[in-house]
Amino acid sequence: MTSTTLPILLLLGGFVLQLLLARWLTPVGKGVLATAVVFASFLASLTLVPASMAGVAAEAMLLPGWDGPFSLALRVDGLGVLFMVMGTGIGAAILLFSVRYMEHEEQGTTRFYAIMLVFIAGLLLLAGAADMLGAYLAWEVIGLCSYSLVGFWYKQKAATDGARKVLVITHLAGYGFLVGLVLVYARAGTLAWTDPAVASAFTSGVAALFIVAAMAKSVMFPLHTWIPEAMNAPTPVSALLHSACYVKAGVYLIARMYVVGGGQWHEAMGTPLLAVGCVTILVGVIFAMAQTDLKRLLAFHTVSQLGYIVVGLALGTDLGLAAGLFYCLSHALFKGTLFMCAGAIQHATGTRDLRDLGGLASAMPGTAKVWIIAAASIAGVPLTNGFVAKWLLFSAALDKGLLVVVLVGWIGSILTAFSFLKATVNAFYGVPSKALLGRPVHEASPSMLAGMGSMAGLCLLFGVAPQLLMLPIVAPAVRSLGFDWAVEMSWLGILTDRGTIAVTVGGVVVLASAMLGLLVYRLAQAPAPGLVSVYSGGESLPAGDRPGAVDFAEMAETAFHPVYSLDPDPGYLRIWRALTRVAGAAQTAAGAVLEDRPLLPIGLVAIAALAGVWLV
Amino acid sequence: MDTVLIPLFLGIALGVGLYARAIPQGDQSWWRFAAATVALAIAARLAGHSWTATLLASAAELVAVGMVWSGGTDAARAAARKYLTAVVLATLCTWAALALTGLGTLRPGAAWDKLAVALLLIGVALKLGLVPVYFWLPAVARASSAMTTALIVAVVDVGAFCELLALRETAPWIFTGFAPLWIGLGVLSLLGAALLALAQRELKPMLAFSSIDDMGYLLLGLIIGGADGMAGAWFGILGHALGKIVLFGAVGAAEWHLGRVVTLDDRGLSTPLPMASATFMLGALGFIGIPPTLGFIGHWRLYLAGAELGGPLLLTVLYASSAMALLCYVRVIHRVWLGPAAAGPAVGTGGQPLPRLAAAVLLVFAVAPVLFGLAPNRLRPTLEPHPHVAELTGPLVANPLGGVK
Repeated sequence: MTSTTLPILLLLGGFVLQLLLARWLTPVGKGVLATAVVFASFLASLTLVPASMAGVAAEAMLLPGWDGPFSLALRVDGLGVLFMVMGTGIGAAILLFSVRYMEHEEQGTTRFYAIMLVFIAGLLLLAGAADMLGAYLAWEVIGLCSYSLVGFWYKQKAATDGARKVLVITHLAGYGFLVGLVLVYARAGTLAWTDPAVASAFTSGVAALFIVAAMAKSVMFPLHTWIPEAMNAPTPVSALLHSACYVKAGVYLIARMYVVGGGQWHEAMGTPLLAVGCVTILVGVIFAMAQTDLKRLLAFHTVSQLGYIVVGLALGTDLGLAAGLFYCLSHALFKGTLFMCAGAIQHATGTRDLRDLGGLASAMPGTAKVWIIAAASIAGVPLTNGFVAKWLLFSAALDKGLLVVVLVGWIGSILTAFSFLKATVNAFYGVPSKALLGRPVHEASPSMLAGMGSMAGLCLLFGVAPQLLMLPIVAPAVRSLGFDWAVEMSWLGILTDRGTIAVTVGGVVVLASAMLGLLVYRLAQAPAPGLVSVYSGGESLPAGDRPGAVDFAEMAETAFHPVYSLDPDPGYLRIWRALTRVAGAAQTAAGAVLEDRPLLPIGLVAIAALAGVWLV
Repeated sequence: MDTVLIPLFLGIALGVGLYARAIPQGDQSWWRFAAATVALAIAARLAGHSWTATLLASAAELVAVGMVWSGGTDAARAAARKYLTAVVLATLCTWAALALTGLGTLRPGAAWDKLAVALLLIGVALKLGLVPVYFWLPAVARASSAMTTALIVAVVDVGAFCELLALRETAPWIFTGFAPLWIGLGVLSLLGAALLALAQRELKPMLAFSSIDDMGYLLLGLIIGGADGMAGAWFGILGHALGKIVLFGAVGAAEWHLGRVVTLDDRGLSTPLPMASATFMLGALGFIGIPPTLGFIGHWRLYLAGAELGGPLLLTVLYASSAMALLCYVRVIHRVWLGPAAAGPAVGTGGQPLPRLAAAVLLVFAVAPVLFGLAPNRLRPTLEPHPHVAELTGPLVANPLGGVK
């Protein structure tokens, strides 16, 4: 056992233990075991960081002589370490959250934790796979785990419908990966990512197939429609799916393609991918604005945020890669946090419908604080990692002269802030809705708060001091893809050539100002908080009133009406109906001609065979 | 001795026997026919690639007809007649073809070689129920118990396909020299059967069409040959055998529970039959070729065979077929097994829980493809060249039909 394989082996060991100890462990015990295993795997992943910082790719055999000439081998470079640390770190926090969240499940907790462990192991295998076949194996394992977890409540139609959509859309597009690797193998006779023979076989067509597969996994328009339907899963599943383990698989694949032939695919496919990313940013956020279900709202924001990440990668420059990968990590942190908050709200109130929520800040103050930090991060508010990610991305786009990308990103950011303002106000402020009256609403348990709070804390930490993440994790990942590290940093934070902002210094100044203001506020004996009139941009609303979730949704639907017609689902449905009609017609014809009169097809085949052998 | 297929057939026999003890598949005569079918198939494998093996394999097919006939209903007898027609014609065609080619050890002169290939094409198509001469297989599936069809597909058909694999080694010219015809047959089967599977409302005929679809894939591996093509066909056929036992077994369990045939109108069977549901899902995913099952080990190589045989065009055909198969299985999983259970009492003798013995059998056959998918080398046949291949490497001699040996 080497340190390279240890993170994966720990998870697989945990999977086996879950099965073996299922009879004796309580749901809480199973959760604690799973959390401990993933945390241990996280620590093991961290041990790979020094080697990746030194530019060394750690190699090891996971399954020697797996399938004839193919072994399941690992080659963990900087990019691999980034995804391994992200998967295990976020996974550990989410599983810690799950311990109490899942404790009341009457059955299925063994299945839940066992599959969660394999899910994370799948991402690690994908990140570390030395060749395309191993990566495809991991790709599909992740897909299967996601399918099983989304359909966890398999007796509920909504859950199984969501799982079905996940499987169908991502798997059908995922065949692109398979067909692509088959074409590469047919031409090169090898599948190792770094083999020069693979580079010569990796044509634009192959790259396009890989990108289609990645688009479905990473919810790029128009293959994004599965993600809102996957919201009927337990919240920890949604959190893991959206933050680290599933949607990021596509991001990984796009990034990994840069090691093949020095990123030769980018010349032909970079611009189309950039366009897809930009469209996805806008479509995702506009659809999010119309949602009143908290998890669906977050799901559409995942679509939008993944657009930002893919845009960063599609820029194909040193700074673009740095931005895309830092954004990838940042998104894992704030989106995982937001989903856990949504789960805590649903756990406490029994609903996630914004129309039925309100005033939760008083009953769930800890959750409210965590939510606000994560919401600020996704909106790109300074002092959060989301701001740094967007800063880097916009800088990269400006460096390339792509003002359109900056404009799209800026509009997306504004709409994101708008959307989260709605969600925050409707969930946490104002008076509780009628649906909540008389219902005892409780704060999230300490372990749930610890799970989401730790990630929110990291959102702030990496917002104020991004160099802590940049130097050991992001920079080696960028270098491992053959790019230079273009982000200037010092202990003062990131230094860019646009206004030379030192984020850490700026953060310290702002924090000091805020603390000073709070001190003055306290010393001045400010009045007790109460309901005040809300300024809505025009006439102020009456005291206690606020912009409602529905009003907001209707407003968005009116403003962006044409965009909502971009929903590709009706198109998919038409294809399915046409296919079943053709199948029905084929069956009618075949039943009458081929099944009821066997001698007819036999005669036909005989004639065709005899004619054929003389013609060939 | 065949160190993979014989243990596989023995395992299938044991599994089906235990399953049939828990969930009856037929009367005493069914047991006799089933036992004789498997015994003859195993004997054929023991005999190697020879006339004895050919005779034994044909006998297994004829006895399998009896297994269908023993159902006793008019539909069963009609299906048995169709199957018998196919078996007799297929046997005559393949025997004639094998006789002309000396079991593949020689290539007859012009015209005779073409005739041999034409006869073999017809015989193979009828034996395996390929499109367009598939008429017997859906009929058998509709009219017989689940494990009857499973045995025919997983033992009789698999045995026949493995005979083809041996022939591919001894007489590659049959496949390489007439590749367009074989490719045409394969493509017709994998596209046609996938489309027809989508049109089925009953689960057993749907599974039968899915078998035909899979055989189309396997033919491609056979045609391309070489290390990857043959490995694809080999792993594919093993996954096919294991998968079909699970899939038919799970549907049989559902029929046992409901007391009638299972159709797409049934709902939520995972609630009363969680194990059957889980195993059906595993079996289906393996059959579609999703990693890390044995099906994947075969399928990705069959895609490779497709790429080498027909380039992007054939890959597109394979993709279309795979997509239809996925849609078909996912529809069954989500309509029949998962989701809320249908309201109302069960009909007939229904409502019976899945016997533990049957559940254990399904579990073993569902998990096996995953384990073998992680360690496929355990299923690789020995690398010794077939005796006939060794013979063919010797000096060419004249043969009575004017060809060469």
